Amino acid sequence: MLSLGPIIFGLILGLIIGSRIRLNVNDTHFTLGAFIIILIAGIIVAWQAGNYPFYTDLPISTAFLSALIGIFVGKLIFARSK
Amino acid sequence: MSQGSMILKLISLPISIILFCLGIMTILGGHITPGGGFQGGAMIASGIILSVLVYGVGNSPLELSHLYIEVLESVGALGFIVFGLIGLFVGGFFLYNVGTDLLNVVPQAIQSALHYPDVTNAGIIPYLNIFVGLKVFVGLSSIVIAFAGFKKFVEEGE
Repeated sequence: MLSLGPIIFGLILGLIIGSRIRLNVNDTHFTLGAFIIILIAGIIVAWQAGNYPFYTDLPISTAFLSALIGIFVGKLIFARSK
Repeated sequence: MSQGSMILKLISLPISIILFCLGIMTILGGHITPGGGFQGGAMIASGIILSVLVYGVGNSPLELSHLYIEVLESVGALGFIVFGLIGLFVGGFFLYNVGTDLLNVVPQAIQSALHYPDVTNAGIIPYLNIFVGLKVFVGLSSIVIAFAGFKKFVEEGE
């Protein structure tokens, strides 16, 4: 059975943190491609973590992946320019 | 305060995001594996600290406002106290693990949201970990942001 707890709380915590990411305040430009690379790297990390922390439903760390998705969604929805 | 290296600036935000995810993963596995609220919160705060150190306190892409820190710190402390008082009134001890179905009204699917294939029942521990993690994350971050702000203030005054 799929454990919904890590997915839901990972999304919530990711949304809370991702709402603070603002990219137009420094001189380094992060484009859409940079975030796609971060997403791919995060999926690899989650895959290598296995089913840690041992919610043995999927062979991937659902808490890590949902947190990553939550950060990106929080950045897209809540992050405003300074 | 900012170190100014372009390589550091390019790599710090992606590493910070990965650190956030690792911290959240540690918080959500605190009742099963080594780790928990404090450790996960410290990992999330390390992402903020890395960003503040590299980009500078006024130029960081991960800047926490005063209201944000205040709200999360209050929610963390309040949640912890509420769980403690529920344990006190129901079980007789502060932070007594009363489980997730206090009045026999919670559906089984919600009860088992953070369960894992084991005979033991974590009860309120995962939720306590989440509140402690929020509190530690903003607490440690605010300390470093304050120090960086003081340093910037002193440098501007000289």
